[in-house]
This record gives sequence, C-alpha cells and structure tokens, in this order.
Amino acid sequence: MKVTYNWLRDFVEIKISPQALAEKLTMAGLEVTSLEKKDGDYVFDIEVTPNRSDCLSVIGIAREVAAVTNKKLKLPGASTSPRYHATSHHRTGKLKIKIEDKKDCSLYTAKIIRGVKVRVSPEWLRKRLELVGCRSVNNIVDITNYILFEWGEPLHAFDLDKLNAQQIAVRRGRNQEKIITIDGKERVLSANILVIADKEKPVAVAGVMGGRDSEVLESTNNILLEAAVFNPIIVRRSRQALGLESESSYRFERGLDFETALHASWAASELIKKLAGGYVDSVYRAGSNRIRKKIVTLNPSYFNKILGINITLTKIKALLKNLGFQIKAYSKKNIRIEIPAFRSDVTMAVDLVEEIARIHGYRAIPQTQPLLRPRVKPCAERVKSARVKNILLGLGSSEVITYSLINREILHNFCVNEAVAIQNPLNRGQEILRPTLLASLIKCLAYNLHQKQEYINIFETAKIFYRSENKPKEELVLGLALCGTRPLLLEQGMVKDSVSMLHLKGILETLFQRLGISNYEFIDCEDPHKVNVLCHKRQVGLILEANREILEKAGIKNKRVFLAEINLNALAPFFSAEKIFQPPPLYPGITYDISVVIKEETGVKKILQAVKEIGGQLLEEVKIIDYYRGKQIPRGFKGITLSCLYRCRERTLRQEETACLHSSVCKLLTETFGAEIRGNVK
Amino acid sequence: MDIEAIQITFESEIQNLKSAEELEGLRIKYLGRKGIIAHLTSQIPSLPQSERAGFGKRVNSLKDKITALIEEKQRNLSLNQGISQGAGADIGMPGIAQELGRLHLLTQVIDEICDIFQRMGFSVVVGPEIETEYNNFTGLNIPLEHPSREAFDTFYIQDYPKLLLRSHTSPVQIRAMKAQKPPLAIIAPGRVYRPDAVDASHSFMFHQIEGFMVDQDIKFSDLKGVLEVFAKGVFGEDIKMRFRPHFFPFTEPSAEVDISCIICNGKGCSVCGRKGWLEILGAGMIHPKVLKNVGYDFKKYSGFAFGMGVERIAMLKYGINDIRLFFENDLRFLKQF
Repeated sequence: MKVTYNWLRDFVEIKISPQALAEKLTMAGLEVTSLEKKDGDYVFDIEVTPNRSDCLSVIGIAREVAAVTNKKLKLPGASTSPRYHATSHHRTGKLKIKIEDKKDCSLYTAKIIRGVKVRVSPEWLRKRLELVGCRSVNNIVDITNYILFEWGEPLHAFDLDKLNAQQIAVRRGRNQEKIITIDGKERVLSANILVIADKEKPVAVAGVMGGRDSEVLESTNNILLEAAVFNPIIVRRSRQALGLESESSYRFERGLDFETALHASWAASELIKKLAGGYVDSVYRAGSNRIRKKIVTLNPSYFNKILGINITLTKIKALLKNLGFQIKAYSKKNIRIEIPAFRSDVTMAVDLVEEIARIHGYRAIPQTQPLLRPRVKPCAERVKSARVKNILLGLGSSEVITYSLINREILHNFCVNEAVAIQNPLNRGQEILRPTLLASLIKCLAYNLHQKQEYINIFETAKIFYRSENKPKEELVLGLALCGTRPLLLEQGMVKDSVSMLHLKGILETLFQRLGISNYEFIDCEDPHKVNVLCHKRQVGLILEANREILEKAGIKNKRVFLAEINLNALAPFFSAEKIFQPPPLYPGITYDISVVIKEETGVKKILQAVKEIGGQLLEEVKIIDYYRGKQIPRGFKGITLSCLYRCRERTLRQEETACLHSSVCKLLTETFGAEIRGNVK
Repeated sequence: MDIEAIQITFESEIQNLKSAEELEGLRIKYLGRKGIIAHLTSQIPSLPQSERAGFGKRVNSLKDKITALIEEKQRNLSLNQGISQGAGADIGMPGIAQELGRLHLLTQVIDEICDIFQRMGFSVVVGPEIETEYNNFTGLNIPLEHPSREAFDTFYIQDYPKLLLRSHTSPVQIRAMKAQKPPLAIIAPGRVYRPDAVDASHSFMFHQIEGFMVDQDIKFSDLKGVLEVFAKGVFGEDIKMRFRPHFFPFTEPSAEVDISCIICNGKGCSVCGRKGWLEILGAGMIHPKVLKNVGYDFKKYSGFAFGMGVERIAMLKYGINDIRLFFENDLRFLKQF
C-alpha cells in the first residue's frame, strides 16, 4: 500500500520527518518497505498484513500515525452520521435494487448523479494518483480511485444512460454468460462469480472490475455511483476464477464495513459535485440495515499475564482512543470497549493486548527467562539418525540433501512402490513424492561427476513416500551412493581404490556393528547386481549396482555406480545403544593363517560358516585376511587366506588341542571344499 | 664361565642387531628365566665359599651393564623406528589419513540451533511431512479461503482429500499439544514445501525450525528472553535484536524478529537493504483459539511460539547468496563446512 506524506497530512498533523515517521510505523507493525522522495512529496510503501484491511487506505494509515505520534485524526464529515449520508436524498420509484443473496452482498448503495462534465482531472488529483501508482483516466474515474485509496472503499461509476436502469441486481453469474471488462477482455461467467447486472445483462464483476459497455467516457452525462459491501469469499472466488486481481478485489477480500462504504460514497459525491459539477438526483440502498456494535471486555491485569509488563489504566485508555476504540465504561478490573466497525480483526481481549502493546512499543517489554522443566527422553528419531550420520561421516561419506519432489519419469528403471502424486505441481519436476532416494542420489552423483569429481561417496537420510490404502506411507530411509576411484597415497606410492559392491557392504557392516545390530545378512539375488540386506531375517534394504539404462538416463558414462537403500524405520527397533562390558581375554590365543586355492565359484560365506561350525567354541574368530587371483593361481580358481584365532576363556589352550582342532579345519577345507592348501602358518 | 668374554660377546651382539624383535631375543638369551645370567647365578652355590662373594658381585655388575645397554638400545630403536635406511621422512609429503565425510551445512545449522534450545531445556520433536489440512491450517486458526492463507501456498496430495505437504513446521504444535499436557517446551525442525518458482532466494522445499512453550505463566517477555539466548548463540554476543509487531493467524500478539545486520553491524548495507536490520524469524504468543483447538484451557495456560527458516539463517551466517546451492549438493560446496 502506497501513501504520501502530504496526503497523510490532510488527516493528521505530522511534526516529524518522513524518515522518523517510517521508523515509527515500522515499529508499530506497519512495515515501511521503501520511502522515496518524489515530486516534492514522499511516497511510503507499506506492507499491510492481511488482518488490517482498514490500513489499505490513507485514512487508516493516518489513524495509525495519529496513534504513534499521539495526535488527533481529522476526519471530514466525521461529525455527520453515515446513515444520514445514505438516506438524505432517498427516493423510491425509478430504480429497483435487488440482492439475490444477502450473504453475497450485505450492503448495496447507488447514487444517481446527473449533469456531470467528464474531463481531465485537475493536476493535484492526477499527481496524487500517480504517486501511489494509479493511472489517471478522467475526473469521474479518478475520483472513484482517489476515494478508494483515501477511504479504502472501492467505488464504481457506471454511465447511467448505458444501463437498462430500471433495475440493478446483485446476483451470481449464469452459465456461459459473458461480459467484456474495462480492460477489453471477454470474460466467461459462472455461478462462482458475483456480478452486478441491469435488467438484461451483467454490467460489472462485483468487487473486481466494471464492464466496458457502461464505462464512464467523456460523452457521459449521468452516472450511477456504486458503494457496496461484498462477501470477501465470493470476491476471492470470482477473481480466482477469472484470474483478475484488482485494487478493488484486494480490498473486498480483506473485508470492508458499512460505515466506510457510506462515508466513502458521500465523500465521492461531494468531490464529483466539486470537480465535475452535477447534482445528486437520488440515492438508493439495499441490504441489511443493522450495524452490530461489538463490545470487548478487557481486564488490565491480562496485560501483565500475556506481556510481562504493567501498563496504567490511563495509558491503556489513551492508546485505545487514539486508535479509534471507544471506552464505554471502565473500572480497575474491567474496561468495556466498543470496537469500531473498520476493525473487524479485533474480536477478543487478546487482540486489544496486541493493539496496546504495538503502539506502546515491544521494546518496552523486558526479557525474562521462563521456568523450564526439561524432559529426560530425547527424540528417538533424531537421535537415531544422528547416530547413523556420525558413523557414516567417519567412513568418509558426505551428507547431501535433495528434493523430496521429483519427476515421475526418473523412477522408470527403479522397481519401487507406487508413488504419491502432487495435485498442483508447478512443473514436472514436482510431480510426485519420491518412493526412493536412489534416483535423487544418482542425479547428485551425475552433477558431481560433471564437476570432475573422481570419487564420490554420499548419503542422505530422508523420508520416502508411497501409496497405501487409507493414507500415504511415509518412512525414514538412508540412501548411499558410491562412484569412482579413490587415490590412496600410501608410503609405498599411490594405490587406486576403485569402488565396488564390497565397499558399500563394508560401510553397512560397520554401520550395523556400531549401531549394536548383530544379526544382519547380505543375501544374493537372482539379479547378480543386487544384494538384499536382512536384519533379524527381515529385509531392511538392498545394495545394487546401477544398470546401464539408469546410468544413461543420468548421463553417466564409463563409471560404475553402487547404491544402497536402508529403511531406518524398519531397522530402528534393532538399534541397541546398550553395551555390556566384557573383560579382555586373560589367556593367550593362537592364530593360524591358512592360504588355500579354491574354485572360483565356491562362496566364501559357506566356507566361513563351515569352519565356524567345526571350530566350535574354541575358535574365537575366523576371517579372510587376503585374497588373490593371478599368475600363481590357475584359471577358474582363486586364492584366499583364512585367519583362525583359537582361544579358551578359562585357561591356556594346549598346543596339541589347537593343532588337532586346526587340522580338522584343514581337512574340512580340502575334503568338503576341494581346497588346495598352499601355506599354513602359526 | 668367563664373565668378561660374555660381556664382549653381548656387546658385539647388541651392536649388530637392528630390530626390536632381535633385541627381545637377546634380552631373553641373557636376562630370561633360563638365560645366561640366571645360569651364572645358579652356579654360585656350587663355588667354593671364598669365590662366591666376588663372583656374585661380578655377575651382578654384568647384569646391570646388560640391562642398561638393552634399555639404551631400546630407546635408540624406538627413536629410529619406521625410518627407512638412510634418508628421514620428507614431512612436506601429504599426510596419510582417511578423509572424513561432512554433514550437510543445513544439518549442521539445525543441530547448532537445536543444541542451543536443548541447553535451555527444550525437547526436540519431529512431525510427518504429509499433513492434514486441519493441522496445517484450520487448527492453527488459518481460515479457509482467507487472504492470510496466501502466505502459505501449498502442495496438495492427489487422490487423498484433505492431505497436503506441510507448508510450515507449525502443525507440530497441534500434534505435540494434542499428545501431551502442559508444561511443554518443544523445538521441531524439518522439511517444508511451498509451490514457489525456484530462484536465488526461493525454493519449493526448504527447512524450518518451530519452537513453542506452554505453561501456566508464560509471557511475551519470556519469548524475548529465550530468543535473545538463541540469537546470541547463533550470531554472537554482540548481536542486537528487535521485535516488530506483525500478523500471524496463530499468534496474538505477533512479532517479526530482526537482528542487527551481521555484515554492516547495523549501519546499512546492500545485504540488509540499507536498513541495518535483518529479519530472521516470526514469533508471538500462541493464539487462544489455537490453545482451545488442542483442548487446552486458554484461561489457565499461555504459551509462545516461533518459527524460522534454516536456509535463511545459514545464508546470513555464512554469506551464501543462492539458496539453490543447498540442494545442488556440489561437493566443492559441501566440503567447505
């Protein structure tokens, strides 16, 4: 909302500079977003919050100025009752006003003004309108606009002689009915749109824009001046349906009141008489007659309860009065306040607390510390994802945050649950809520590969969404993506560590171990590029190598990409923060390293399992510490080195005991798995 | 046995050895339970009385000498360990270490803010991203078809009427208050969504942190006190703060909170639009209608609430000029933090 310094001064005496005034208004809740010196005046651009329709006018802002500078508002014609303006020339007969539904329009007034001379507006009027960003048309149109800005009430002037003026109806549009609005566009109407119609046709879209056919032109002699109160919701729907926002609809949507409408109509007719001549021939009014007075009771101690500050009764009364509230009665415990019609936003005592607080200044409220009673239990979801993230950081993985909304198409090569769609996306990139993080992670890899990154190790923890019967499902998952080659500069020189599925397995193993999850498994699938991840026999996720279609779509060339997705909701019940202390072993253990050559297709997992079984309790640990293929190994075979640690917790193991046990391990390897033992070192 | 000969042999042996393992072998050979010294000592009783004392003394002094030489060698060995024959390490060569991953900057900022509030006694709570229209709007006193909803353009979910993607974290207020009775002090971070065209300062997905507290005696002055601790914690002790009246449907009185511009210290620059102040959050006393909606007795209880955009705070704090950087996930960006 734009106002000028001089325009404000028509209504309130201002003794401070425009800059000081801007600061005061900002600190009272009317944020001045810009202040510009122009044509010997200052233009304030003020952000008016949607609750303050009264401040979409010069007078409304002048009232605020009066309150923050402790001055009186000077209102023309304020001494005369608005009712008087409306009824003074009331005549019945010629024109009939019909309101189809009073819910749509609670007040409709029309003044017939005859004998006007339409011409260019005087310079002062044109200049003021230009300063607030409104184009000058002719004196009549300019006056209606001027009053709109000054009073906040949108008015409309029709060329009376272009109306079939026996009847004015406020009604809903009929299907396929059409109107050409002042901007020259043909609009198709419907029952969602409120219109003003004469006996034959719609002549204006109520509260939004007038019709071109009844526009006031230089040839106009007689006018019908409309001032009305339309229902905010129907105006909102009309302008949404037509995609047509105007200064007028903006104000109607935020709510207007009878008194302002009647005042503005009077002020406009006075100005028309002055600048365009003519006389008010007759005045018509339809709609509700009642102006309900609102009374709110305020207990002064309520201030302290809400704000933590005491304000004296005298001060409260003065502040409220300056804002246009009327004190009807007061005692130490209660103030009865009549709310002016233009303050439809004030309905409860707490609203008045804000009114007083903002004029008194928030700065005056002290700072205190509330008594807090902390809860012991932390937020489980946050703690769990924080643990996951910390472990991954230590493993060299960096966190990314990608959009939850994606293009449906990029899911094409992922086999996932049915996605939840967005009803009103702005573009295809926001079509659906993602049912997997993997597509987004690939996009992120591709982006970084284009930036010439050689090694990318990233993760994200975020929600995935998918359709289910009553309500879409929302689950917290972890996504991991790995790509490229990591150069490891060691003392012996550079070693290139190219990522593989085992890298992801290693990350997940460490993650699970550190989370206290002991029962997990990696299970092969039919698809050799996919591994299922199980926890306590339930699938919690998968590891996969991105296939060619996926990579091509993402624009990734000549790179292997490994992905994993783990459902943290499914995993969470198995997280265990509890650790039980175990004393370090008292007795020495004996380690045997056996190098064997086995057939390529022999699964290492099976070997380890069988060795464990045969080793029994005395075999504390068996692990693979080396593996190789190459010159020394025949084709179709691979070499592995197993390390077996034997130990008894109660005593020192005897040499013969371990030797015997270990030879049965060797026997198992040779006989069951056809291994050839190449070395066996204690 | 000739003690002197033993000493000479030992001295040449110890000089030639190069590793800790060899030294340990040598120690066992001489000082071990079945070692040479033990052997010598065991011979003492079989010697004639007159020789015993003298021999014993010499054995002891040999033992001391050997012990001392072994200790010295041990020190030398450990000093030299790892250095290959000849040249020392070039410390100008790159160090060898596992590179750590980084938390996304937004996570770091969220953690920092949550930590500050947790130190004050707030608890963290999270809510779902798909919300009901009631929790996102109606329960928060945002009426249907009212211009105040315009600040909250919202993505709706297809085929599930009345479900939407939350456009702010305030629905957590409704959930938390319905789930528990006062007193409560909660901080709720999370993703939110609004159909905005993406540019340097707009994103259709961003992060907010909601905070609120309800008890019998909570006042606006408490809100000021708590937010002061927050602002100084994030932006430094010297920061100034101001509360400007504003409008939010779910708070009354409402305020927008500014901090003195961290770029120009309040003098006015291009970042703060020459105002000297930067808006960082919205706040206010929870509207009695909201308390009523969750079944609280609003005559007995009062509370405050505030909400802030994480991206905005991160951008101000680190001088980041484009919100898209957060979601592009360029490792060269991520690894700066």
